[in-house]
Amino acid sequence: MTQPLLTIRNAQKRFGNVKAIDGIDLDVQENEFFALLGASGSGKTTLLRMLAGFEMPDGGEIILDGKDVSQVPPNHRPVNLMFQSYALFPHMSVAQNIAYGLEMEKLPKAQIKSRVDDILDVIQLGQLARRKPDQLSGGQRQRVALARALVKRPRLLLLDEPLGALDKKLRGDMQLELKRIQHEFGITFIIVTHDQEEALVMADRVAILKDGKLLQSGTPHEIYEHPQSRFAADFIGVMNFFPVREQGGKLVAKDGSVIAAAKKLEAGQEGVAAVRPERLHLNGDAGENSVTGTVSDIAYHGLDLQVHLKTAAAPEPVLIRLTADIAEARPISVGDTVTVNWAARDTRAFAH
Amino acid sequence: MRSIANPRLMLMILSAVFAFLYIPISVLFALSFNEGGLPTAWTGFSVKWYGELFRNADIMGAALNTLIVAVISTILATILGTLLAVGVEIRRRNGRFLETIIFAPMIIPDIVLAIALLSFFSLLNVTMGLHTVILSHVVFNLAFVCSVVRARLKTFDWSIVEASTDLGAPMAITLWRVVLPVMLPAVIAGALLAFTLSLDEFIIAFFTAGAGRDSITLPMQIFAMIRFGVTPEINALAAIVMTVSVVILALSQRLNRGGLPGQ
Repeated sequence: MTQPLLTIRNAQKRFGNVKAIDGIDLDVQENEFFALLGASGSGKTTLLRMLAGFEMPDGGEIILDGKDVSQVPPNHRPVNLMFQSYALFPHMSVAQNIAYGLEMEKLPKAQIKSRVDDILDVIQLGQLARRKPDQLSGGQRQRVALARALVKRPRLLLLDEPLGALDKKLRGDMQLELKRIQHEFGITFIIVTHDQEEALVMADRVAILKDGKLLQSGTPHEIYEHPQSRFAADFIGVMNFFPVREQGGKLVAKDGSVIAAAKKLEAGQEGVAAVRPERLHLNGDAGENSVTGTVSDIAYHGLDLQVHLKTAAAPEPVLIRLTADIAEARPISVGDTVTVNWAARDTRAFAH
Repeated sequence: MRSIANPRLMLMILSAVFAFLYIPISVLFALSFNEGGLPTAWTGFSVKWYGELFRNADIMGAALNTLIVAVISTILATILGTLLAVGVEIRRRNGRFLETIIFAPMIIPDIVLAIALLSFFSLLNVTMGLHTVILSHVVFNLAFVCSVVRARLKTFDWSIVEASTDLGAPMAITLWRVVLPVMLPAVIAGALLAFTLSLDEFIIAFFTAGAGRDSITLPMQIFAMIRFGVTPEINALAAIVMTVSVVILALSQRLNRGGLPGQ
C-alpha cells in the first residue's frame, strides 16, 4: 500500500481533567471518504478540530503528506473545514464568501473569478451568486459552505456534521451529492457524524469513537457485519442481544436455551449473544438457533414490518424485520406465538 | 387576561405624560423663533436669534471647544471601548467582575466622577484645560461604547473567525475583513452615543476644564449666560443642540437594533 495521506499517531488531548482524545491511531488514504462516527462527547469533533489546526494535540503526531503538521496553525495547513454552523460571512455575498479563501492565496483576480464561477456551477447556485447568506435556504447555505472550502482544493476536506441541519429528504439527496462531488474532485473527505446511517451510506471507511478512543475502523460492511465490541454492535444499526453465560463450550441464555455463535466466550464468562433483526427468519430451516415468543407489537414501515417478540431468553423484546412479501404470505397479529430461527454464523458473542 | 384598565383612561394618562415631557421642549423651540425675544409675549416669527447666535464669538468659541472635545474623546473611547469589549468577550472567565469595573463609570454619579477626576489631576499636578476635559470624557464614554459593542458581541458568531483563519487569513486580516464589518453597526452606534453624551456633558467638564476662557465648553458657556437670565440666543442654541442630539441618537438606535443594555 502507498503511503497514507494522513497518519494520526497516538494523538492525545486533555481539557482540564477530561481526556478528550486518548491515544488515537488512524490512517486515511488519498481519495478516501472517511467517516468519524461517535456519540456526543466521543471526541470526534475534537479530533476534527485537531486536524484543522484549531486544537493542538498534547501528544502524538498528525502527519499529512509525510510532514508532521500537529503544531501548524490552521491558516498554514492544506486542510479546510466545513463548519457545522456553516459559518458563512454574513456581510459577504455568496460569490464573495467563496472567493475569500482564494484571495488569501493572493491568486490573480481572473483566476479567482473563473474558479468561483466553476464551483458555483458544481453546486448549482450560479444565479444566486450575489445573494447574502441570510437570503438563502438552509440547503443552499450548506452548499455555499461546501463550495467555500472545496474551492481551495485542499489536500483534506473536513466536514463537521455537514447534513445535521437539513431535513430528512434533503439529507438523503445531499448524501449522494457529497459522494458525487468527492469523486469528481478527487479530494479526501473526512466527515464527522453521529448518524450511523449517514456514515454507512457515504463513507468508504468508518471509524467508531468512544470516550476519546478508537473502537474500530473498517469499511461499512466490516463495521456492520463484524462489530468487534458490544458498543459497536449496538451503535451501528439495530441489534438483538441475549444475555448468555459460557457453560462447557456453549452459550446458555437466561431461559436455559443454547445459542450457537460464530465467536465463543471464554470458559465461565458472561456476555451477550447478538444477531441482526434481518437475520431472523420465520421458516424453521434457517439455522441452528431458535427462540419462541409472543408478538407484543407490530410497526408498519412500508418497506418492512417490524415485529417485537417477547421472549424468556432476552429482557428486551426481540426485533424481527419482515419484508412485505413475507409478511403477506404469513400474516401475523399481536398476541400470536411465533418461533424464529437464525444461523450460528450470523451470531456474534461479546463478553461484558 | 383582559385589560383591567379603561382604554380611554390609559390614553389620557399617556397623553398627560407625553405632554409633561414635551411641552417645555416645544415651548423652547417656539420661543427660539419669537421675534421679540421675551418669553411672555409672541410678537412674530423670526430667525434673527439664530443669526445673533452665530455672531456671538463667546458662544462660537465654546461650540468649537465642545466639538473638539466630543470628536477626540469619541474617537479615543470608540477605539479603546471596542477593543475592551472584544477582549472581555474572549476572556469571559472573569467576566462578571470585569464587567462591573468597566461599567462603573456609567453608574457612578457624574458629580462623584467629576470630583474624583479633579482630585486626580490636581494630585498629578496636571495643568487643566481642554485636554483634561477630553481625557475625562473618554473615561465615561469608554464604558458606554464598551457596553453597546458588548451587547452586539453576545450574538456574535465566533465560528466565522475560525472560518476566516481556516480559509488562510492571518488574524489581522480576519479582524479587518470579517470581525470589524460584522460589528461595525454596533461600533458606530456606540460612537454616536458617546458623541451625544460628550456634546452636552456639563458637570465633569466644569470641574476638569480649569480656569480660563480657552477651555470653556458649550454647556459651560450656557450656564454662565443664564446667570443673567435666559436670553433668546440660548433658546436658539438649545434648539440646535437638541436637534443634533436627537438626530444622532436616532441614528445610533437604528444602527444598533439590539438596543442598549438595560433597555
